[in-house]
Amino acid sequence: MTRIETERLVLRAPLAEDSAALVGFFASERAAFVGGPLALGLAWRHVATICGHWMLKGFGPFILTDRHTGESLGLTGPWAPGDRPEPEVVWALWDHAPKGQGLAQEGAQAALDHLFTGLRWESVVCYIDPSNAPSIALARRLGGVEDPHAARPAPTDLVFRHAPNSGARP
Amino acid sequence: MSLISPPLTQLQTARLSLRAPQPEDEQDIMAFYMSPRSKHVGGPYDRVGAWHRAAGFFGHWALRGHGKLISVERATGARVGTVGVGRPEGWPERDLNWTIWSDAYEGRGYAFEATKALRDAVAKLYGWTGLVSYIEADNARSIKLAERLGAVLDPQAPPPDPYPCLVYRHPKSEEPQ
Repeated sequence: MTRIETERLVLRAPLAEDSAALVGFFASERAAFVGGPLALGLAWRHVATICGHWMLKGFGPFILTDRHTGESLGLTGPWAPGDRPEPEVVWALWDHAPKGQGLAQEGAQAALDHLFTGLRWESVVCYIDPSNAPSIALARRLGGVEDPHAARPAPTDLVFRHAPNSGARP
Repeated sequence: MSLISPPLTQLQTARLSLRAPQPEDEQDIMAFYMSPRSKHVGGPYDRVGAWHRAAGFFGHWALRGHGKLISVERATGARVGTVGVGRPEGWPERDLNWTIWSDAYEGRGYAFEATKALRDAVAKLYGWTGLVSYIEADNARSIKLAERLGAVLDPQAPPPDPYPCLVYRHPKSEEPQ
């Protein structure tokens, strides 16, 4: 199973013991921009869907963990449910994860590098609610360029497109 | 390709083979959840929502070690529906559940046959007896089947949040069925 190391993080596939943190996230206000907060049973079902995504497609969102302590901090990686027009890259930090230290960017950049060099994807998008300013800023820092013509799940979503050479900006 | 390993991945009844889901089942599972027949189990869903449910079949097995089995007609190999024991986090109890995927397979006693077999198997293997089935109040067919299986309405048992539904309780295995 894929394992990616960065300066401060390890990205790895989800394990059964991650379910409490994942369920906690999707049941919390922090999941407001990704369909939440969900009732506990539905949050758990969504976590089962994430595991099933890995099982059916062989890839999926990674758990972001602290490289030194192993503590789980969030998730990032590809998300391609059903037959959406194209795959997405997603990211989230758990409530207790340190914010403002660039951890989401470090994880998402590593995930993008893996998609482009490991899986040889040529392009990946992210769908972002226009009021989700922190994610819009992160998409731009990761080199994402707004694509006004791309198909999107909700008509109000913004679409940022990442490509192998779009290059991260500091 | 097999994604799911034992203990309870294969059961035979007189007319059905009950087996864990396989990747090749994905489109049929989705078709059910997009059809009006899924109206009592959260549907009908759009394609993405239906895919979420299908992927959830696999994740439920991964996280719990049990889940929904696909009911396959032995004579033809046709997938006719599901039978399973569901336990999402936060649900009060394990839910013994069933579906039949098309009108063509209604009225043959397949859901009864599958559910009875699984109920007996989980009682024997895990000691799970007196399970509940969460059923929407307007799902007359499933209520009738629950009653045929000897389950009775348990007004004290809470339904899972956020689904208002009736709770039918199956007999304990030592009771006559």
